[in-house]
Amino acid sequence: MRLLTGDARQAVFAPLDDGAGRSAAVVRRLGSAIALGIIEDGEQLPAEQQLAASLNVATVTLREALADLRSRGLVSTRRGRGGGSFVRADDDALAELARGRLAELSTADLRELGDLRVAVGGTSARLAAVRASASELAALRGLVDRVAAARDGSEQRRLEGRYHIALAASTQSVRLTTQEIELQSELGQVLWGSSRSPAEVATDTAAHHAVLDAVEARDAALARDLAEEHLDRVTVRLIEIHIAAVRRGDGPSARGQDR
Amino acid sequence: MSAARASERVEAQVRAVLDGVVERVLGPVAAVREAALARFEEARSQGVAVRRDDLHALREPLQELLLADDCVPVGLGVIVAPSVVDEQPLFLEWWQRGPGTSPPTRLEVDLNTHSVGFYDYVVAPWYAVPRRTRLQHVVGPYVDVHGTDRYVLTFTQPVLSDDDFLGVAGADVPVGRFESLVLHELGDLPAEVVVVGDDDRVVLSTSSRWLVGSLRHDADSGATPLPGLPWRLLTWPTRH
Repeated sequence: MRLLTGDARQAVFAPLDDGAGRSAAVVRRLGSAIALGIIEDGEQLPAEQQLAASLNVATVTLREALADLRSRGLVSTRRGRGGGSFVRADDDALAELARGRLAELSTADLRELGDLRVAVGGTSARLAAVRASASELAALRGLVDRVAAARDGSEQRRLEGRYHIALAASTQSVRLTTQEIELQSELGQVLWGSSRSPAEVATDTAAHHAVLDAVEARDAALARDLAEEHLDRVTVRLIEIHIAAVRRGDGPSARGQDR
Repeated sequence: MSAARASERVEAQVRAVLDGVVERVLGPVAAVREAALARFEEARSQGVAVRRDDLHALREPLQELLLADDCVPVGLGVIVAPSVVDEQPLFLEWWQRGPGTSPPTRLEVDLNTHSVGFYDYVVAPWYAVPRRTRLQHVVGPYVDVHGTDRYVLTFTQPVLSDDDFLGVAGADVPVGRFESLVLHELGDLPAEVVVVGDDDRVVLSTSSRWLVGSLRHDADSGATPLPGLPWRLLTWPTRH
């Protein structure tokens, strides 16, 4: 197995601190990491005992989570020499997992997540208009162009995540950047649940370019307004999917769970 | 003494201060470059590609440099051109000072090209510019996102074997550390100082009118280029 590298990767295998529903939490953590490409398609996961220890869960809990991921088609297990658990970055399975999470969260949870995105993303756009250099702007444009040209929905989402993180970094603020990275890893659990038509992707990339036009024109107020409008639209879209899913009976109350 | 001569003298003093601090960064960078080059050339003389372990061996000189009492950089290492290291499409051997008295640690980054956290160093200016120009370079201040996640200046020199570009040797200096070193050295010199990078970003400033990290688009009449660095210096005497 390739060595686990990078802060994001370390975070993926860091101990889980949320007590309840630990096997579900493991599924969410690993599912999000697969969606974000932090764990690669085809990559072998650490041995069960090692993985359970680093996540700070019982081996039986980890096995439960791996069984869940296996039934979803996100992990395959090979026996014998050279065997183990291997990641499968299946788009449909990731979408299914994210839709489950979307149904589980409440409208208020999603609104909160959207509010924080607006706070961080709107401020990032405003400060980028003041502080982003010409080369940073060119790199941001390049990322948005790559979103439009990406081969699949997952790749589009990842590149868009990189765009938001790069916009935050161009403000020269480590704190804003860190916040945006955390938001993106949380969004990895839900964004995959909303598939976009090519027209919707075109609308979204046009919105990013409009923000960058305002950044380039050094119009800080406009950059912020446009970024906030776009992020609000994304939140509304997620809330609509959530409500539809719960009304279909995919939500927690339908399974008789108490949140 | 005329105002013009006083101003020239102050500028010379400010330049001496900046040169002194920069040299304390570029010295270790040159040492890393030479140590890395020796590894590359040893492999080449044996007719084999350099291996990961050959570059892991740099950890000793890197740790030694970082642990020196007067070391200014907090991170040092070599970032290798794609596919130069055997079976490694991308590779870096980079070490960072630990907090307090703890030993230096190796920087681990995500080199999976499809990851949201991919450390895409090939397009980073501190790599791409020395590759193109074959000259040393300084980038920043900037947020080293997906890498050290710090607000730094990165100084790099190309590692060249004959005419082959093998990568860059570099040093990270936190923006705050660079500022406090220069301010300390300037002492009570009666001068205001603003250093601007090639992307029009303020690298250092003694004036609250120009904050570090902000852009300065106006034409810098009277700015002096600093030799060997993509920086320009604005300085003017202050009245007593």
